[in-house]
Order: sequence, then C-alpha cells, then structure tokens
Amino acid sequence: MGESAGLFAGLKILELGAGAAGPVATRYFADQGAKVVRVESGVRPDFLRLLHFRPGDPHGLNGGPMFVLMNPNKLSVAVNLSKPEGVAVVERLVRWADVVSENFSPRAMAKWGLSYERLRELRPDLVMLSSCLFGQTGPQRMYPGFGGQGSAISGFNHLAGWPDREAVGPAGTITDSLSPRYVALLIAAALFHRERTGEGQYIDVSQIETGVYSLSEAIVRASARGEILTRRGNHAEDTAPHAIYPCAGEDRWIAIAVFSDEEWRRLCAALSLPALASDARFASVAGRLAHEDALDAALAEQTRGQDAVALMHRLQAAGVEAGAVQTCADLLQDPQLAHRGHFVRLAHRHLGELSFEHYGIRFSESPPRIETPAPDLGEHTQRVLGEVGYSEAEIRSLAEAGVLA
Amino acid sequence: MLDGIRILDLSEEPGFLAGKILGDLGADVIKLEPPGGDTFGRRGPFLGELADPERSLRWLALNTSKRGITLALATPRGGELFRRLAARADVVLETAAPGSLEALGLGWETLHAERPGLVWCSLTPFGRTGPYAQFRAHDLVLVAMGGNAALTGDPDRAPVRCTLPTAYYAAGPEAAAGIAMALYARARSGRGQLVDVSMQECQLATLVTAPGQYSLSPKRRGRTGARLGGTREIWRAKDGDVSFGLRGGAARVPSLVATVAWMAEEGMAPEWLRALDWKTYNHNLLSEQEIARLESAFRSFFATKTRRELFEQALARRIMLAPCNDAREILEQPQLRSRGLFTTLDYPELGARIEHPDFFAKASRSRIGIRCRAPRVGEHNAEVYGELGIDAGALRELAREGVV
Repeated sequence: MGESAGLFAGLKILELGAGAAGPVATRYFADQGAKVVRVESGVRPDFLRLLHFRPGDPHGLNGGPMFVLMNPNKLSVAVNLSKPEGVAVVERLVRWADVVSENFSPRAMAKWGLSYERLRELRPDLVMLSSCLFGQTGPQRMYPGFGGQGSAISGFNHLAGWPDREAVGPAGTITDSLSPRYVALLIAAALFHRERTGEGQYIDVSQIETGVYSLSEAIVRASARGEILTRRGNHAEDTAPHAIYPCAGEDRWIAIAVFSDEEWRRLCAALSLPALASDARFASVAGRLAHEDALDAALAEQTRGQDAVALMHRLQAAGVEAGAVQTCADLLQDPQLAHRGHFVRLAHRHLGELSFEHYGIRFSESPPRIETPAPDLGEHTQRVLGEVGYSEAEIRSLAEAGVLA
Repeated sequence: MLDGIRILDLSEEPGFLAGKILGDLGADVIKLEPPGGDTFGRRGPFLGELADPERSLRWLALNTSKRGITLALATPRGGELFRRLAARADVVLETAAPGSLEALGLGWETLHAERPGLVWCSLTPFGRTGPYAQFRAHDLVLVAMGGNAALTGDPDRAPVRCTLPTAYYAAGPEAAAGIAMALYARARSGRGQLVDVSMQECQLATLVTAPGQYSLSPKRRGRTGARLGGTREIWRAKDGDVSFGLRGGAARVPSLVATVAWMAEEGMAPEWLRALDWKTYNHNLLSEQEIARLESAFRSFFATKTRRELFEQALARRIMLAPCNDAREILEQPQLRSRGLFTTLDYPELGARIEHPDFFAKASRSRIGIRCRAPRVGEHNAEVYGELGIDAGALRELAREGVV
C-alpha cells in the first residue's frame, strides 16, 4: 500500500488468528487506510488458506479463494510462535500497534505469553480484542467449532427453513458474518474511547453471543410468553401475501411482501388479477392469512410466466414491495451494487482477476479503497520487521533459525 | 464506550437494533416516535395477549437503553423542534426513504450546514442514491435482492428466509459500526459526516465471499438444504437437529477422528471407517459415493443419540458438533448463563419480568450493557423537551396541537 488515506490513515492493527470472525472485521479498517498486519505461520496456517486445497495445487497456501477474497489490503508477516524468538518478534510488533485483534481459541495467546496483561506492559494504551466462538471464560470456552456450530448454538439454524423439514440455517453460517461486524464496531468504539481519554482496553467477544444478542426478539418472546419461534418458510406472522414466487426460467423467483389492504389492491391491479382483488376471502389481512396457501397458489400462477426482474420493476413502480431473488451472477451485474461500487476487480498474482467486495457503509468524507489483493504468506515479513527496527542482519538470522516461517 | 454521545434515533423497525447497540454501548439514545407511538414497530405479539403498543415484545426487545419522545416531524413546529434537538445531538440515525426528510427541509445537508460536527447515519434498503434507491424493501425483499435467499433452503422448493428479519440484524451492527467510526474520525478532525448504509449491500457479507468466488470460476451454486458446500452440515439426532461438518481441512480432522473413536466404542463404526487414513483426508477430493458412505455412517450414529448426549460428548471429546438450539434451550445454555449473557428487566406496570440477552462483550475499561428498558410512548417528553426550555404548560400546548 502506498501513502494511506481514509478514516483510519495512520492506524496500525495487528491481526492474529484465522477464518472469518477476526479477519473480516479488520477489513473495515484496512479499506479506510489502516495498516493491517497479519501475523501468521506456515507451520499452522489459517484454515481458509487451505479450504479449497487439492494436492498439486501450484499456489500452495496462497491460492485459497476464500482467504484471498477476505484479506485484501493487508500485509502478512510469517512468525513461528512455537519459538520464543517468534514471540519476541510479536512483542516488538505490539509496541508498534494501536490494536491487536485475535480470534484463536482461548488459551492460545496466554500459552505464548501474549495475554492482554503482558501486552499492555508493552503498549499501555493498546486496544486488544479477542473473538473466539464461545468467549474467554466459562465451562465450555474450549469447545472447538466453526461458524456452522455457531449458527446452530445461537439459534439461527432452528429459525430458517421449512417447518416440515430439517433446519437449514441462512446460507453462509451466519455468525461468520455477524460477529465480524460487532468486532469492527467494538474496535472502533474502543478507539473512540482512547481518542477521548487516552485509555486502551481489552474486549472479550463470543461469536455465539453476537448471534444470540441479534436474536433478542426470539429470546424475549420465549421469556415473556413461553413462545418458541421456529422456521416457517417465507410466511410472516401478521401479513400476507409474504412469500417467494416462481418466475420464468430455471430457478428464477421473486419475493413479494404486502403490508396493507391498499398494497394488496395495488398488487392485484399490477398483476391484472381483478378476480383476486374482489375475492372476499382475501379482502382483509386476517382473510389472506387464513387462506394463505390458496393465495400463494393464485399468485404463483400469475408470476410463473414472467421475468423476475421486469416484474420487480413493475411492482415497485406500482408501490408494491418486490425483489428478484438474485444469484451470485445477478449480484455481479446488479446496477444498484454497481452504483455503490460494491465490487472491485483486481488481479491477484496467483488467481488472476477476481471481484473483491466492500462492506455496506459509505462515508461521505472518504470512499473505501481496495488497493492490493490478499498477501502471500509472509510476503511482507522483511518490510514490516524493518519498519519496527530490525536490521537486515537480524532478520536474516531470525529467518535462518526458522523463526520467520 | 459511547458515554456522553447523544443520538437522535428516528428509525423505524429496520434501525431498532442499530440504536439499541449504541445505547447498550453507553450513548444517550433519544428515540423519536410520531405522536401516539410507532404503531407498526410496536405491533404484536403482545405481552399477556393484550393488544397494547406498550406491550409489544418486538418493541421491548429491540429498544432497550433508549429514552423515548414523540414528535410530528412533518409539522412546521415539529420540524423546528427537531432542528433544536439536532443542534444538541452528536448523531442522527434514520431509516427514512431517501429524499423524504429533505422534502421536509430536515435533510442531512441542511442539518450538517447548521452543525458541521454532526454525524448522520442513513440506513436504507439500497442506499441513498442509485437506480434502486426509491425501491421499497423490508426483510424478505432484502434477503432476496442481497443474494442470501437464492442459496438458502432445499433444492426442490422456493428460496427461503429466516423467521426473524436477518437483514436488519446484519445492517444494525454495520450502521452502529459506521457511526462509531465516524465519531472516531470526528474526534480527530472535528468534522461530522454522512454514513450511508445499504441493507442490501450488508446482505452480501452473509455470502462469505460467494460472489467473488463466482467471479473467479462461474459455477452456478444452488440451494443445498442441509448441506454446506458438497457435504452435509445438519443432521437429525433422536430429538432434533445438530450441526456437524465433514469439510474444513486439517483443522477439522481431529474432530472427525474423535467422532469415529466414539462410534467405535459404541460398536457403530464400520470397519472401513475405522481404517480410514485421516492424514490424507481431504473433503475436496471425496467422490459422491464416498460422501454418501461417510454420511450414512455418521447419520446412523447421530440418529441413536439425543442432542444433549451428542453435545456432552462433543464437549468432552472436542468434537465440532452442536445442537440447533431453540430459544428456550438458548436461555438454559450453561456456557451462556455462566458468562452472564442474560439480564432480567422489570416491567412493574405490566406485572412482568423478562430475560433479555445483554450486550455480550466484556470490556476491561468501559461499562457496557443494557442500561434501561425500552421507553413507553413519549415517556421522556418532559425531560428532553425540558432541556430546550419547554415547560409543562408549553408541552401541553404542543400536545394539543398534535406536535408531541
């Protein structure tokens, strides 16, 4: 990265860990000019570097698409933490950093002597955040799991899918995308606190708890009225129609949601369904809910032959909420996402051109930037160690001793 | 963390969580509702089954740590009061359709000109500008347009959403993060700014890089039901579903080995499974036939156990398996309880005590967590308008005019 601009220009973040929860969070800062240094090791590589690995893969640890897509704009320093000299390197980096974000399992940092108590001696105003699956305390803190397990434990799986089928969970193991947002939020809030008071602090985040907190409504309803919400397809509790209907073509669909009798009449008019509009069963919300299957069937009959995107435009123009169900291919062509510059095409040295993504925020003072694709493992070891004061000879001898691996 | 920061929160349901997060982090969040209250946001189900906006459980769940006032923004007097409130605020959070506040003369540009330090967060379905900016969308349309629905559900049925609005749950912390970032920037530059959050765009992060992967190798992915990638992720136990994966590379192998060891102890690991060479195991290389064989062995085993039995052994043996909990099970989950995740709030006039998930993070320096229950309609009118020098008599006058 060249001279950085952005909300976080000049900020230095040290990242230890793997997967999504930590690394996705620091992207918010990297895309706004912060210098984010990943401390990683080929001895125990980030599992995302290997998720799509097949033997004979010429790119080794550097071509994992999910890893590459999650980690642009970052620098990578290879350090073997099983060696005391490796720990010493990290300590030197901590003195330099404003923020340490880590998402190892709870005992890892302490085992290396890199607990917050130690790190704050090196950098008293450090902001440090840990984000493992279950948090740093409690009887089940050492439970191992991925996002799939986080989604299950926090309640999302139970709530998505069809009532007569097994749980499916929203696609994408939702705690993997929820928890990074809370991590980014808390780092930003802690930095704001530091700006105001000069104080750093340590923050313990459980990925699963970010999911449970998000589902406050389900918990409150269970506590207040003993109600156990479950999956119910696309139907809403208090309005209809509210579902996803087939359209012309293979696996093409449209979501339609109606919230008032007025919108219902608009929908019938826009779909040229006068008979439905005058059907007494469907005249009120209560009636539409009571006859929802018949309602859905009648609407599907009408949507089935239509183009999803054209129908969306027609219904929106008529004042009815509707949206095409978009596939990945559709998203890459979506004019609204293009308007916001959501995708940034960049060449990666091993994978070639691919589309990196921004998050959902745009700041009026500084647009987000993606300037470099994800780093190879250890790509910036020399440069970063040089920046924190190691001489070339020192770096060479550390490398020869297997510390920078 | 955000103590002393005043936030005017004009948001409707999609923004409830964002405001709650900021309040739980210590900000003074003042929630504006139209006179009579936000009837849509305060809809049922109701506590005690009494249809009363003060008993809306959705409202109570998502508006903790806020004060509440009423104000008719679209009246001239209401607009003037809003400007006076904004003059004392650090942040405005709103979910209005793009252009609608501007039409009242209460848009970002106007207020920003009056108060350059103001941070203004606009949380809208598609962002403030662009070809879809005027499209209307709540959760269902957002999960469709944002790409999650196409991949969620079974291949033989329509795409499907979550019973509760995950689009708001994705966008809420994103908007809160944007506000915290803008406050950090303001602390350094003195300038406020516009934070324009698109809920559709927030949805894309739930796909954990699927669009980018498609851009690299355009292979159409459909819905895979209980599978994640090529292998099963949700399994039927005796009494419900559990999550357990066959993918994940080296990080997951110890968990698979431990599962097979347990199955062997119980005489449920077939010979070929016990003989499997885990050192070379790679889920990317499994044939459909091998996947089917593996799945059948694990499926038969899980079906003989309850979710509790499975999770107890998962903890003891370090197996990556977890129950698909419902809300009651979450309330009883020992790890969550031991960390004090739940806090009980009192609603004396409703005769209720309700458990809420507290703000989960533990910070060594800052006091964070739910500070108070959600406000009643106009509960803090006297307090907040009092700061503007509006006394009880003047407030009664405003109420008569329908302004508050």
